[in-house]
Amino acid sequence: MSGNGANRALELLRSLPRVSLANLRPNPGSKKRVRRCTKKKNVMPGTGLWNSYLNVSLFVLKERRRGRGRYGGRKCGRGHKGERQRGNRPRLGFEGGQTPFYLAIPKYGFNEGHSLRRQYQPLSLQRLQYLIDLGRVDPTQPIDLTQLTNARGVTVQPLKRDYGVQLVEEGADIFAAKVNIEVQRASELAIAAIEKNGGVVTTSFYDPRSLEILCKPVVFFLRGKPIPKRMLPPEDLVRYYTDPRNRGYLADPSKVAEARLELAKKYGYVLPDITKDELFKMLSARKDPRQIFFGLAPGWIVNLADKKILKPTDESLLKYYSS
Amino acid sequence: MAAHMLRSLCRPRPGLALLCARFSQRAAAGTEYRSSHSLDKLYPPRQDGTATRTTEEPQPPALDIPMDRLTVSYSRSSGPGGQNVNKVNSKAEIRFHLASADWIPEAVRQKMALMHTNKINRAGELIVTSEESRYQMRNLAICLEKIRTMVTEAIEKPKVVSKETTQKLIERVEKMNRERLRQKKIHSTIKQSRKADFD
Repeated sequence: MSGNGANRALELLRSLPRVSLANLRPNPGSKKRVRRCTKKKNVMPGTGLWNSYLNVSLFVLKERRRGRGRYGGRKCGRGHKGERQRGNRPRLGFEGGQTPFYLAIPKYGFNEGHSLRRQYQPLSLQRLQYLIDLGRVDPTQPIDLTQLTNARGVTVQPLKRDYGVQLVEEGADIFAAKVNIEVQRASELAIAAIEKNGGVVTTSFYDPRSLEILCKPVVFFLRGKPIPKRMLPPEDLVRYYTDPRNRGYLADPSKVAEARLELAKKYGYVLPDITKDELFKMLSARKDPRQIFFGLAPGWIVNLADKKILKPTDESLLKYYSS
Repeated sequence: MAAHMLRSLCRPRPGLALLCARFSQRAAAGTEYRSSHSLDKLYPPRQDGTATRTTEEPQPPALDIPMDRLTVSYSRSSGPGGQNVNKVNSKAEIRFHLASADWIPEAVRQKMALMHTNKINRAGELIVTSEESRYQMRNLAICLEKIRTMVTEAIEKPKVVSKETTQKLIERVEKMNRERLRQKKIHSTIKQSRKADFD
């Protein structure tokens, strides 16, 4: 012991740097932390690079407002007389008697039936290339919605009328990866960009229950229920998924091969022969239309704790799950 | 319902290439899951696998353009667009020597040389550009489409109208005019009859 508390404190004061506002901190819990902004500032074109180095902190200490002193006292931020100070302002949207905006504009069914419309989360080729370059997605295995969700490349919300992922053209010119990818919708240029690099695209349908299982497999396995069979697409989507131009999973494989050649002629590239590729087996791996996961059939129960798979043996069950 | 519609859409077709055969049948035996809607059940491969399919083509096949005979170059597009248009090479340009393009028939080549003299430079190269799209690939596709349109326009022959048809058309026009004037006269007499003319 170098002496009593007072001496020790005095020693510290002599040795430590000068106490200033830069060295002080309020007592933990005395000040509330408030979230200031949620987005990073974008670089404005023409302002130069220095703007991009601005760090905008997300949290800021909020000062408690007390009714004393210059900015918290006297009128307390309420203004002078009138409805403002007296707290009697009219309802939101009231325009002093003039027909308000929300009543003057006629109704039109822009959002009619919005909760019944199918939505597809976009996945640009640029994002896909980014994920592959960073090693978050493995191009040597078939790329599925499960792989993309595990890599946190896309976030799909089946409960919000999302029916999967769609491939978007952004980044088509810089895309240079050979992948076997399965999405729910794909535009023509995106298909061309992937096939130009020797890859394979397939579009397939997942009904909402299967989609939820596909996106969160572990949560599903923990339920202990058998894997259900994937439902076939509804009437208005059958035409889409049987069309070889969309590389539908229910389309005739010979027609799909022809469509690949046609697309190569249209976009002016030489279609690489994937049969001669060393990864041909991986590239041609496809799921059965009733299957949700590669390697797992409907009807199986996956026990993660005991690392076992239970398969049905009853004839009626086998018949149901293979129908 | 969907399953029924699906089955009605499928017809058995011969699977030709190794590619399509591989897609419909999986490599491993026994361990792969097959439902009643798997591809090899929807499109069973024909027993005579090497038979050529009689293709019914409603439209003539698109012109086959050999890419190695063309010179393709990319450059920056013009117009507004900020930093992106300054950096990204999206304008596609195709050049090829028209006189030595064997993939176009001779007569068509000469016709094209007459129709598109403004697009041919001193060295005899036909130049086609496109900067309509944000993507290089799409601009290239648009250029190829333009070349195909040029060839199609040069191939088409002017319609030969037979003498009888021209005669018929002239007669039709004259008949229409006669009828119109007759109706006009009738209308005129009606209006006249409504006038009260006091002498």
